[in-house]
Amino acid sequence: MLTQVELTGIRAAASAQVRDRHRLAARELLTAALFLLPSLLVFTVFLFWPLLRSAVISTYGNDIIGRPTRFTGSHNYQLLLSQPELHEVILNTLLFTLYTVLPALVIGIALALLLQLRVAGIGFFRTLLATPFGFSVATASAVFGIFFNPGVGVLNGFLYPFHIHPVGWLTSPTTALLAVAATTVWLQLGYNVLVLSAGLQAIPEDVYEAARLDGARGLSLLRHVTLPLLTPSLFFLLVVSTIQSLQSFGQIDILTKGGPARSTTTLVYDLYLNAFAFGNSNFGLASAIAMVLFLLVVIVTAIQFGVLERRVFYR
Amino acid sequence: MVRRGISYAALAVITFVLLFPLLYALSGSLMTASEISSFPPPLLPSRPNLRNFADVLRALPLARQYLNSAVVAISVMLGQLLTATLSAYAFAFLRFPFRNFVFALFLATMMIPWEAVIIPNYLFMADNSLVNTYPAFILPFLAAGFGTFLLRQFFLTFPRDLVDAAKVDGCGHLRFLWSILIPLSKPALATLGIYAFLSAWNQYFWPLLMTKSDAMATLQIGIKRLRDVEAATAPNFILAGTVLALIPTLILIYVFQRQIVRGLTTGALRG
Amino acid sequence: MKRLAVLVLLLLLAAACGGGNDQQTSSSGNFDWNSKAPAKPVKITFWHGFSAGANQDAVNALAAKFSDAHKGEIEVTPVYAGDYDTTFAKLKAAIQSGKADQLPSMVQIYDIGTRFMIDSQAITPAQTFIDHEKYSAKDLEPNILGYYQINGKLFSMPWNVSTPLLYFNRDAFSEAGLDPNKPPSTLAELRVAAEKLTKKDASGSTVRYGFGAAIYGWFLEQFTARADQTYCNNGNGRDKSATKVLFNQPVDIKVVDWWANLVKDGLALNTGRQTPDAQNAFKAGKVAMNLESTGTLRGYQAAVKFQLGTAPYPKVESSTTAGGTIIGGASLWVLNKRPAYEQKAAWEFEKFLEQGDSMAYWHTHTGYFPVDKKSLDDPTDKDWVARYPQFKTAIDQLHSTKLDKATQGCLLGVMPATRQAAEVGMETAITGKAPAKKAMDDAAANIQPQIDQYNQATSGS
Repeated sequence: MLTQVELTGIRAAASAQVRDRHRLAARELLTAALFLLPSLLVFTVFLFWPLLRSAVISTYGNDIIGRPTRFTGSHNYQLLLSQPELHEVILNTLLFTLYTVLPALVIGIALALLLQLRVAGIGFFRTLLATPFGFSVATASAVFGIFFNPGVGVLNGFLYPFHIHPVGWLTSPTTALLAVAATTVWLQLGYNVLVLSAGLQAIPEDVYEAARLDGARGLSLLRHVTLPLLTPSLFFLLVVSTIQSLQSFGQIDILTKGGPARSTTTLVYDLYLNAFAFGNSNFGLASAIAMVLFLLVVIVTAIQFGVLERRVFYR
Repeated sequence: MVRRGISYAALAVITFVLLFPLLYALSGSLMTASEISSFPPPLLPSRPNLRNFADVLRALPLARQYLNSAVVAISVMLGQLLTATLSAYAFAFLRFPFRNFVFALFLATMMIPWEAVIIPNYLFMADNSLVNTYPAFILPFLAAGFGTFLLRQFFLTFPRDLVDAAKVDGCGHLRFLWSILIPLSKPALATLGIYAFLSAWNQYFWPLLMTKSDAMATLQIGIKRLRDVEAATAPNFILAGTVLALIPTLILIYVFQRQIVRGLTTGALRG
Repeated sequence: MKRLAVLVLLLLLAAACGGGNDQQTSSSGNFDWNSKAPAKPVKITFWHGFSAGANQDAVNALAAKFSDAHKGEIEVTPVYAGDYDTTFAKLKAAIQSGKADQLPSMVQIYDIGTRFMIDSQAITPAQTFIDHEKYSAKDLEPNILGYYQINGKLFSMPWNVSTPLLYFNRDAFSEAGLDPNKPPSTLAELRVAAEKLTKKDASGSTVRYGFGAAIYGWFLEQFTARADQTYCNNGNGRDKSATKVLFNQPVDIKVVDWWANLVKDGLALNTGRQTPDAQNAFKAGKVAMNLESTGTLRGYQAAVKFQLGTAPYPKVESSTTAGGTIIGGASLWVLNKRPAYEQKAAWEFEKFLEQGDSMAYWHTHTGYFPVDKKSLDDPTDKDWVARYPQFKTAIDQLHSTKLDKATQGCLLGVMPATRQAAEVGMETAITGKAPAKKAMDDAAANIQPQIDQYNQATSGS
């Protein structure tokens, strides 16, 4: 039999425990809030709020220094859609993405497979093949710009012994986008090789052995074992490098400035031309372009997740 | 034996092709202007000399631009390490309402192209007279969804018991974070640090808009200006500048490659 | 962290659209002539666009000379603000910030930024100072002042001035059986000469092209003026704000078509829009005739291994008698948000830069055209012209130009973008992507929204 006093004591103790737990939860909440605050602050000030503001500015006309001054509704969008160049610009953007992402993936796989060779000193080659990752868009473009020089460039120098006429890599509308894309592919390769060889190395040996016991060899081993197990890395690279490609700016600015004849003007570059280049400050129109870019990134990423992620083989 | 020979030959050829831009940059930076501008272009300098490097250093405040790049990249790196560690900790070890939603918000930041918000950010910097100052280069990049994601994945590999044990010991969150978690997370932190440093060091569009003087330019903008001025006249000059700008990042990826790769395999790629 | 918090606060204060930015602008009417400097010397900063080299050295030397002569009164600090585009962008950012301490006392802005500067409400027109102190501009070349004048009112002081010329390789002319003393003067003649000058080797590849120039909008503007036509409507934007570009008019189509055909027929080398690429092709002898500014003369003279010839800029039709070339370069602007005493000091410096001996120094050290007529009589200047006899072509060309709306040049708020649009059009035609007419029509259509937007923005909304 518990005495009244004892009962009261237990009750008090129990409720104290509940209070403690509450206090603990409250403290945890406070801690979480404090820990998240710095990141959230940066995101809010420099991403979320500006995204909202971009949307607002895209519905405004601006004064000659770019300051939004008057609400114009969908005017900027109508303007954008009415210009024939928008189609060209979006096409350029998508083509550029296609020309960069896929080759960089395919070549990346080939290089990563090569690096699986079991020979002494392979680590040395692995280190070297990551070299493009150490380049920036500016440094890579500076070097490739010299390769592509129509008069004295190395590329035309290689063609010279074969009596092939000098190609205006960056000055001809048919080759410029490809030349800029080639620069980007090279730039992307270093990272792709790193990620893909890490992915390959993570595949356990016993999986291969089991497959070999089942009679898989060479290409079929590659198709049925290696590639499926590599899909997480491939998918990751696909998503990341697509977003990156859609945002490409530096190589275009340094190599072609969007030319010749607008053949390398992508959405981002068009935004730059309208907002910041040649004395322009058309922030309203440029913000409309920014919104189109944002939508494009969201749509493309969503498609990739919707269509391809199902085929990714997560272990 | 023959197979091994073929392997090495293939590796050598492919490495040479892939490294050609770097090799040519090195070689061209040692050529004279007339040598590099002759046709067909030579691949090796006939008499290597270091004149171009001296000329570049004279023409551009390259030392200052090195400093600018370093200040920006190191600040961004430290900032991201701090903010990402804190937020990843919250997502991995703390319980709070809307945790998944907030985490999704963090991931969503990776889908907002910086270019889509560049105009409001430009206006913000202009409004506050921050154009052409370090804060303009640094502030927007002090936090990153990718870094948070990377560290959270890493933290989640720690057994839950570890945290509970620490709590029983009366270890506060900060102390647990500082004295246990961070020492154990060095590989992931190294990866994030290198990424943050590289991406800040290599930035182009934003510094291009924010730079209004050679003294505040980062190396990347210095390279662009070098090319604008010397594009067709002195490729050797541009290559010398490029080589100088490349040294830190190349060292970084050659020396710390193991850390970069380890970060890629631990967590980041697991669904 | 604290700094960030302050920033966030600032951001929250600023509304989504446009921070309040209603600085007092002193128009010419209420300039405070009695403004006294609180402390001497008055320090003025001068943003210019000359990177390290001969031109920057000349700027610094002149500034030092001026500061010496005004010891204790005025001190000039020249600041290199980046190339023309960067200086322009930098000035815009400073105006955007709405803070006077972000602005220089005076700034050099390229010719095509003129209309923007006038509309920016950020400047004090040169005419304000001229009227106040009855400054006589009679020694200054009227054909140069014309560009910066609207209805006789001068907005800025022309400083570095250049005009376009036809450069040619005299040796190649002789070799091809052409008379180097009779260079082509029209498009048709130029084509005939190009046919003779183009040379192929045994394998059929061209070793020398007759013609080659950068795809530079300025050249099209010059051809238009040479034909005595305006480049934009409303009297080249001088009667009132231009609302349309005219670079798709017949005379311009003719020029673009002519150029495209030269390239198509293998008589001209297309090196794209980069000026140095075209210059190199000419210097290397790969191209026998080239369009360039007078500013390039010294560089060409130093680099070429052949006899360099210059000729007046070609006409479109031989029948045209009026018309001429437009001046290019940049001018000096005084910023009105700076204290009035500082603006007056900046004006003193501008006058100093314009006067005969300064201009002679400027001309002989940079190759830019002297604005003050007396400079050409200066002995050092005479020596210089003797050393570069080709420059005589430019002097004659400028003096023979009759100043009218066409040769004053087009003023357009979005002129930099317009030039860029014209270049896209020219390039589209020259690379064979579209016929000249369609290319230029499209280019005009593309720039139209920008013109409309600019005019809406300045029509006081």
